[in-house]
Amino acid sequence: MNSFSFKLKTFFLEIGELSLFAGRFFKELFKRPFEYSEFLRQCYLVGNKSIVLVGLTGFIIGLVLTLQTRPTLAEFGAVSWMPSMVGISIVREIGPMITALVCAGKIGSGIGAELGSMRVTEQIDAMEVSGTNPFKFLVVTRILAVTMMLPILIIFGDAIALYGSYIIENLKGNVSFQLFFNQVFDALEFGDILPATIKSFFFGFAIGLVGCFKGYFCKKGTAGVGKAANSAVVYTSILLFILDFIAVFVADIFYEL
Amino acid sequence: MERSSGHKIRLGIFVILGTIIFVSAIYLIGQRQEMFRKTYLIEAYFQNINGLQKGNNVRYSGIDIGTINDIVMVNDTSIRVIMRIDEKIISHLKTNAIATIGSDGLVGNMILNIVPGKGDARMIQDGDTIETFSKIGADDILSTLGASSENAAILTSDLLKITDAMINGEGTLALFLNDTTMSKDIKKSVNNLKNASYSATRSLNELNNIISNFTTNQNSVLGVLLNDSISGQKLKSVAVNLEKSSTEIDTMLSRINKVVSDIETGEGAINYLVHDTTLVYSLRQTIENVNEGTAKFNENMDALKNNFLLRGYFKKQERQLKKEERKANKDKE
Repeated sequence: MNSFSFKLKTFFLEIGELSLFAGRFFKELFKRPFEYSEFLRQCYLVGNKSIVLVGLTGFIIGLVLTLQTRPTLAEFGAVSWMPSMVGISIVREIGPMITALVCAGKIGSGIGAELGSMRVTEQIDAMEVSGTNPFKFLVVTRILAVTMMLPILIIFGDAIALYGSYIIENLKGNVSFQLFFNQVFDALEFGDILPATIKSFFFGFAIGLVGCFKGYFCKKGTAGVGKAANSAVVYTSILLFILDFIAVFVADIFYEL
Repeated sequence: MERSSGHKIRLGIFVILGTIIFVSAIYLIGQRQEMFRKTYLIEAYFQNINGLQKGNNVRYSGIDIGTINDIVMVNDTSIRVIMRIDEKIISHLKTNAIATIGSDGLVGNMILNIVPGKGDARMIQDGDTIETFSKIGADDILSTLGASSENAAILTSDLLKITDAMINGEGTLALFLNDTTMSKDIKKSVNNLKNASYSATRSLNELNNIISNFTTNQNSVLGVLLNDSISGQKLKSVAVNLEKSSTEIDTMLSRINKVVSDIETGEGAINYLVHDTTLVYSLRQTIENVNEGTAKFNENMDALKNNFLLRGYFKKQERQLKKEERKANKDKE
């Protein structure tokens, strides 16, 4: 019982610290000067370096989803609904979620490990001494970069996943490229794409925030760096699911309207 | 800048609670989906709602205009369906609109269709009731289909019996189908019929010829009859003569009649002869007497022949007769 209350205490402590960290991020975000070059460099690192990974996972997800759904739809004689079904499920849910999880693994752990090692090697302390705001230079740029890049990565991943789905449809059902994408875009509405895109901004923010938080407050020692990277991924993944749940809930209300 | 851990824990609890409250608030909002829109409530009474549920769409001429808000059982035969209609559409609805329950696709959700009524009516307002029309549901169609299929089953079984009987050779139809000799007979009959009709046509042709001969040929009797005007004239005169003769015959017969009746009434000698029976008797008597007399006379004459005085005469007569006979024989030779 004692250990449970202690765990609950540390959990709430963690949440509180994360909330304070997020508040500090918004406070520092609108303070001059803006670190443009560092922001663009982070964008390149976060976005460009992840494109191959996101593309590959998206492609395979599209392939596998179509292959798995096809027999069931064929049973109902509804194979012609395949493009619209796959399109909606990928754009609305599977694309953003899978891409965000993959990015949580790659970007979140990367940021956690990078900032953690900086903390361990006392580079952050050195920055503070030299008069540079380490939070603004390291944390704000990274969180902002991930928040901006993740929606783009998600849209890219969606496109690749749809292409993967098209390949299976073309191989198995002789559906032409034009027909497939016509059907996909017929089925998709603005109400499908907009909530998914708004949601992906929050996903990006969560990945950057948790990664930076874990790295920034890394415990001393080399073990601390590994722990920071690991917990960054775990917490991010949990947070992503919670965010997704809330986002779908909210989007559902507006979608019904 | 550094805050106490107690402060941080309180902040953490606040964030978690805030999230939970936010989510539950969203859930409550989601329950009442049309919260942010102004809507009107309209009622309709149905006998059967065919599985309509709360939240099903309401369509007006095919446009989604709202949802089913509530379904209440009023009594054992009527169900009140309350629908929530969008404010923008309500200005187009009139009180004579008709609500029907349909299905969205073959296996889709049920929907409530509102069809505009005919003619003019007041615009609908909040809380108004509109007319309903119960279409035949899929269940009813299926039940009638069931009855039809039963009938079809009975029919087909009967048909099966008939075909069985045919195959087994029972009845007239089976004979038609199976008996080969019959078909031959029929064929023969048909052939005979054909021949008969052929000869009939021939006969008719001949008859035609004959008739035409009658009319054209003047040598035959009928031809003469038909064509000869002179003979006709003669015939007419003959007929006239015949008529004359017959009138004469008639008068003659009447006279004869008169004579006969005279006879019968007993005037004149003939009547006497006919009717008097005693005369016949006396006549017979007289004839008997005459017979007797002549027989006696014959005796007398024989006696006279043999009398010597007269014998010579008879001998002379015999010789004369023989002479004549000889003379006749000589002439023949």
